[in-house]
Amino acid sequence: MTTPTTPATAPVTQAVRWDLGYDIHLGATWSRFMQGLREAKILANRCPDCRRVFVPPQAYCESCYVPTDEWLELPGEGSLEVFTVVWHGFTGGPTPPYVVGAIRLDGADTLLMHVVTGLDFSDPATVRDQLPQGSRVRAVWSAERAGHILDISHFEPAG
Amino acid sequence: MARRAAISGVATTEATSPSKQTSSSLELCQQAAWAALEHARLRPEDLDAIVVGNIDGFEGTALSGKHVTRLLGLGRHLPLIILNTGGTTGGNLMQVAARMVRSGTHEAVMVLGQPTFFGARDLQSAINTNSPMIVEQPLGMGAFHMGAFAASAYQARHGISARDLAEVIVADHDKASRNPKAHLRYTVDVDYVVNGTPLSTPLTQPMVCPVSTSANAMVLVSEARARALDHPTALVTAMGTTSDPYLGGGKGDFAALENLAALARRVYRLADIREPRQEFDVVEVFAPYAHMQPMQLEALGFCEPGTGIELIRSGATAIDGDMPTNLSGGPKCTNAGVAGELAPYLYVAMQLMDSAPPEIQVAGHPRMGLAHGTGGSFFQFENLAVLTRLDPAPEA
Repeated sequence: MTTPTTPATAPVTQAVRWDLGYDIHLGATWSRFMQGLREAKILANRCPDCRRVFVPPQAYCESCYVPTDEWLELPGEGSLEVFTVVWHGFTGGPTPPYVVGAIRLDGADTLLMHVVTGLDFSDPATVRDQLPQGSRVRAVWSAERAGHILDISHFEPAG
Repeated sequence: MARRAAISGVATTEATSPSKQTSSSLELCQQAAWAALEHARLRPEDLDAIVVGNIDGFEGTALSGKHVTRLLGLGRHLPLIILNTGGTTGGNLMQVAARMVRSGTHEAVMVLGQPTFFGARDLQSAINTNSPMIVEQPLGMGAFHMGAFAASAYQARHGISARDLAEVIVADHDKASRNPKAHLRYTVDVDYVVNGTPLSTPLTQPMVCPVSTSANAMVLVSEARARALDHPTALVTAMGTTSDPYLGGGKGDFAALENLAALARRVYRLADIREPRQEFDVVEVFAPYAHMQPMQLEALGFCEPGTGIELIRSGATAIDGDMPTNLSGGPKCTNAGVAGELAPYLYVAMQLMDSAPPEIQVAGHPRMGLAHGTGGSFFQFENLAVLTRLDPAPEA
């Protein structure tokens, strides 16, 4: 193989900008989920074949390939399966440090991702031990709700 | 008998950071494409098609596959397939070209992996577009935060410390330091890795991949063409791809790569692999974060759950071990987007063709290799191929 050598000069660059906004059409299933959040309800749906309960809901079961049209409301409480402490965020995101966790709501088979509060960040080495796997957490609703995942303000330790 | 496809030529450019790169994306692609052709002993007019990887939104200069292909200098009438599967684009390129050759409609197909992280000033904003936009990204979850979920769950299940994870990085850097084509060629120690800037628990900056610029290309031909060459080639013995649900919350288990394990069972069955640890001579996995390589080695059947780091620590994955893995240094030390995702396929093919850089070439003519790729939201997609050394046909 040949490999042309790279000249040892500074790269010549020019700045450009790409800033695109999108409107994502949620469709019937997620629109209903978002309407539920506006009413301070967590709506899920169930696969008629494997009986698994999905939250956020999904129009089809990805395992059984059948429509999932049976709806149910889940409690805003569950177990924290795993979380990460974010020390370095990104443009447009929340200000770190913050915690994002995967929560198994009671009655759900999938995990709901959300912000988890109530941890003391003063000693980074001990943060993980403050909420061991399986810790109970509950949803705290935002006062102003607009049909958005952040209508649940966050989850906090429960009991 | 069905036709088979073999990789007959491979090429990678030198890798560097965007701030030091003096070539354009197009120039890197030209270098790789022409070097791969030369390695395959082909002329441009011998090609029946080219498969180019493209990721919308990853590239400030928006070089489409069509634009790039026209300017490679390979001629006016080269049919083009553009592949866009987001973060797994590069890992799927070889598989598409191999299927074109296997189908009998194509004799020789070039695969081009472009450097797609090239130029973005705020790369995290660009790659965060793979985080589910409606229900997960608004929570402050971007690319490496999604990776941290698996790292965290893996630690909790198996009692793995940050220092254990750091050992994976130390091994990767040792390997990259010997690869003249790698981007990060410095060595590190465990203290450096664990004391690096914390990103998302447990990942520190040295535990995640760099932003590199390089281009990769390969050529696939029919088995008959491959056998007529005067150098060994890499036969595509078995391959496959698979997918988890789109949302991270749909994963069954963050502490194990169940999706990859299922794909490995399927691909191994096709290739009649029964004892992966004994049968593979060389392995390259796409492991941009510290926890991924050990978890992948477990899912691929090389060791028991929770023992991937022990396997790396044992020396088994080093160049003189019994299953050399990521001798390139892997994406932890060189990750140029689509080119980086194609790299595991390229390096395994190089090894089987005895054409890897001499510093990282496995001794004794390795015969069977495993190449892996992954990407997407929470690494939902996996791709895998078994490649086998194909020797030239004896002179008649």
